[in-house]
Amino acid sequence: MGNGMIMIADAPPIFSNLAGFAHILRHLGIRVSTAETLDAINALGYLNLTEREQVRAGLRAMLVKNYREHDAFDRAFDLHFAPEEEKQRRLEARRQYTEEMERASDQAGEELADTMEASSEVWGKEVSESLNLTSEEKETFARLPRSKKERFYEFMKSFQANPVNNPSDLIVQTIKASLNYWRYQMLKMNTLQVQDIERDPTGIEELDEVIEKVVSDIYDDWDEELIYRDMKNIEEKDLHRMTVVIRKIARKLVTRISRRYRMSKNKKIVDIRHTIRKNIRYGGIPLDLSYKTKRIQKPRLLLICDVSASMAQYSRFIMEFIYSISEVVDEIESFVFAEDLEYVAPFFKSGNFTRAMSLMVESSKQWGKSTNLYAALDTLWRDKRELLAPNVFTIIVSDGKTLATEKTATALARTRGVVKDIIWLNTLPRRTWPAQKHLAAFRKYCAMFECRTLADLEKIIGRLAA
Amino acid sequence: MNMSPNELKEGMEKLGYISNDEIVITTYLALKMEKPLLVEGAPGVGKTEIAKVLSEIFNTDLIRLQCYEGLDETKSLYEWNYQRQLLKIQLSQNEQCGLQEKDLFSEEFLLERPLLKAIRADRKVVLLIDEVDKVDEPFEAFLFELLSDFQVSIPELGTLTARQIPIVVLTSNSERLLSDGLKRRCIYLYIDYPTVEKEIRILQARVPEAGEKLRKQIAYAVNLLRGEYDLNKKPSIAESIDWARALYTLGIGELSEDAINNTLNILLKNREDHVSLQNSEKGVRGILEHLHKQVAPQ
Repeated sequence: MGNGMIMIADAPPIFSNLAGFAHILRHLGIRVSTAETLDAINALGYLNLTEREQVRAGLRAMLVKNYREHDAFDRAFDLHFAPEEEKQRRLEARRQYTEEMERASDQAGEELADTMEASSEVWGKEVSESLNLTSEEKETFARLPRSKKERFYEFMKSFQANPVNNPSDLIVQTIKASLNYWRYQMLKMNTLQVQDIERDPTGIEELDEVIEKVVSDIYDDWDEELIYRDMKNIEEKDLHRMTVVIRKIARKLVTRISRRYRMSKNKKIVDIRHTIRKNIRYGGIPLDLSYKTKRIQKPRLLLICDVSASMAQYSRFIMEFIYSISEVVDEIESFVFAEDLEYVAPFFKSGNFTRAMSLMVESSKQWGKSTNLYAALDTLWRDKRELLAPNVFTIIVSDGKTLATEKTATALARTRGVVKDIIWLNTLPRRTWPAQKHLAAFRKYCAMFECRTLADLEKIIGRLAA
Repeated sequence: MNMSPNELKEGMEKLGYISNDEIVITTYLALKMEKPLLVEGAPGVGKTEIAKVLSEIFNTDLIRLQCYEGLDETKSLYEWNYQRQLLKIQLSQNEQCGLQEKDLFSEEFLLERPLLKAIRADRKVVLLIDEVDKVDEPFEAFLFELLSDFQVSIPELGTLTARQIPIVVLTSNSERLLSDGLKRRCIYLYIDYPTVEKEIRILQARVPEAGEKLRKQIAYAVNLLRGEYDLNKKPSIAESIDWARALYTLGIGELSEDAINNTLNILLKNREDHVSLQNSEKGVRGILEHLHKQVAPQ
C-alpha cells in the first residue's frame, strides 16, 4: 500500500498521514470529528495495513457516516494513499501548470496593457499605466477565448475622448468591471454542485492537490446525475426523467414530514380531566393515566418565483417540487414575478402540474422579462395583504439580481415583520454572494440558501421540515 | 472476540448471510472496538439480518428494540409498574405496615424493557435497535449515553453500567437524517443492493431448491429492474428471495412472460410500479430479452 507523507512536523508518519487525510475530507465537505479520527487510528491497529481494501473499508467505516460521501472518500483515498512516486509526479505536474498559468497571466496582463496603449494616442498611455491589474484579473483575462479578447479590444477602441473630459478613468473602470463579470461567469461554471465543499486551500501542497483533483473529478461525473445537475442545464430530453426524480424525492420527504403530524405518543403531561373520567370505574384511583398530546399544524406556504430570463427554468422545477409536497402543507399560494407580480395559484388547483405550467406560461405577461422584486412585493402588499400572516412561510426563488435593491431590502424587512419566516432559494453559487453586495442587506431579513440542483432543494426542504 | 475477519466471513456464510469485504471488515471492527454498528440502506438489503447472524455466531440472545415515532424511555428502557405500586400502597394502608418510598422503587416493581435488559444481561448479548430513523430527536439524544458509555441513568436506581458490553447493531432506512451525535458514536456501514453475482450467491444460500438457471435469471431480472426501470420502490433482496421461493412453489423452473406477470406482485409491492412496468417501452419483454442475452440456455 502506498504511503503518502505530508509535512506535519514531528509527528509519526501514520498519524501525520491520517490527520492529513482527515483534513482533506473536511475540505471536501465531509464532517470528520477529532474523535472519529482517533477511532480511525485505533481501527488501523486491528487491520492488516498491507491489505489496501481492508484499510479503505476500515477508514471509510470510521470517518464517513453518509453513503453519499463515499464517492468523494474513495477518490481522496486513492489519491492520498498513492505510491510516493506517483504523488511526486502529480505535484510536479501541478507546479508546472501553476507556473505556466502565472506566466500566461503575466503575458495576458502585458498584452492587455500594450493593446490599450496602442488603442488611442489620447488616453492609451494613461490607461496602460493606471490599469494595475491584480493576479486574479490577469488570470481571468488569460483564460478568455481569443475571440472574446478581440471583441473586447474592438469595443475599447470605440471609446472617444472629448475636448473636456479624459475618459481614461472610465475606461480603467470598464476594463475592471468587465474582468470582474467574466470572472464571476467562470466561477459560476466551475463551481461545484455539492453544498459546503470548500475550495479554500489548506496551505499544504500535497493536500491541496488531492482536494482539487477530487473536486474536479466529482464535478465531471456528477453532472450526469440529474439530481446534482444545475437545473438550468436540464435539457428538453431530460424533462420527463426530471419529473420522475422530483416526484420520487418529494414522496420521500412527504413520508418523513407527514409522520410529524400524527398525534405524538410522547407521553409527558398528564391530562387530569381525561384521567379522572377514565378512572371512575376504579373508584377514582388513577390506575390508568391519560396524557396530553400535541398536534402539529401543517405550514402554509407563500411561493414567490422569479421568472425572468435567467430564472425561468429554475422556477419551473422548484414550483413542481413544492406542489409535489402539497399534501403535507396546509395551503400553497403561488406567485411569479419579473417586472411585477402575477398570482398563479389558481392554475395549479387542477392537480395536473404539467398542463397547469403550460397554461400559466402561455398566459403570463412576466415570463422571461427583467427582475424587479421590489415592485413584486409592493403589489403583494397592495393586492394580497391577507396572505401575509404569522403562520405563513414565504419562499422566494430568485438570484437576487433585481432593480431597486434598497427598496427591495426595505420591503423584505416589512414582510419579515408579519410572516413566520422568509426562505430565499438563491440560484447563484454561494461563493459569488460576497460580490453581490445587496445580498448582504437582503440576508438580514431572510434565511438564504444556495439552490441550483434538486439535491440542494431536497436538503433545504428536508432540513426545514425536521 | 478472537475471530479474524476471514473467520467472521465464514461464520456468516455458513448461516446463509453472503457478505462482501466491506461488510465483514466493518462488522469486525465494531466487534473488536466494542462500538455500536450503524447499518444504513434500503429496506430488505440485509441490515437486520446482520444482528440475527451475529447472535447465532456468538450463540447468544438477540434483544430487539423495534423503533417507532413516539418511542420513549418507558417503552425502551424501563417503567415502574405503576398499577402494582398503587395496589401495594392500598394494601399497606389496610395492613398498617410502615411502607417506605424505597420499597416502592425496587426490583419488584421494575419493568425491564429491551435496553435495560441488554445492559443488565450477565453475558454478552446482541442488542438490535431496529429502524432508529423512525424515532424523534429527543429519543435519539437519549441513546447517546448508552451508545458511548454503555450505561443508563435511572433516577431511582442511579447509573447502571453494562455488566457485559453488548454487541449493538442499529439499522436505518435513511427516512430521516440521523444526528451527527449519533453517527459519531457508531461505526458506519452502508449496504447497497447487491451485484448480480452476489445476488446469485444469496439465492443459492437461501433458496437452494430453486434451480441454478432460475436463480441466475432472477438475479439478472431483479438487477435490471433496479437499474433500468423507473420504479417507486426497487425490489429488495428479501423480495427476490420471496420471488424465488414462490416460483419454485409453483413449479416454475424458468422465467417466461406469464410467469413474470403472474408473480409480479411478489416483487413489486406498488400498484404504480406495476402499471409503470407494463406501460414502459421495454416492459416484461425487455426483461426476457435481457435474460436471453445474459443467461445461457441449459
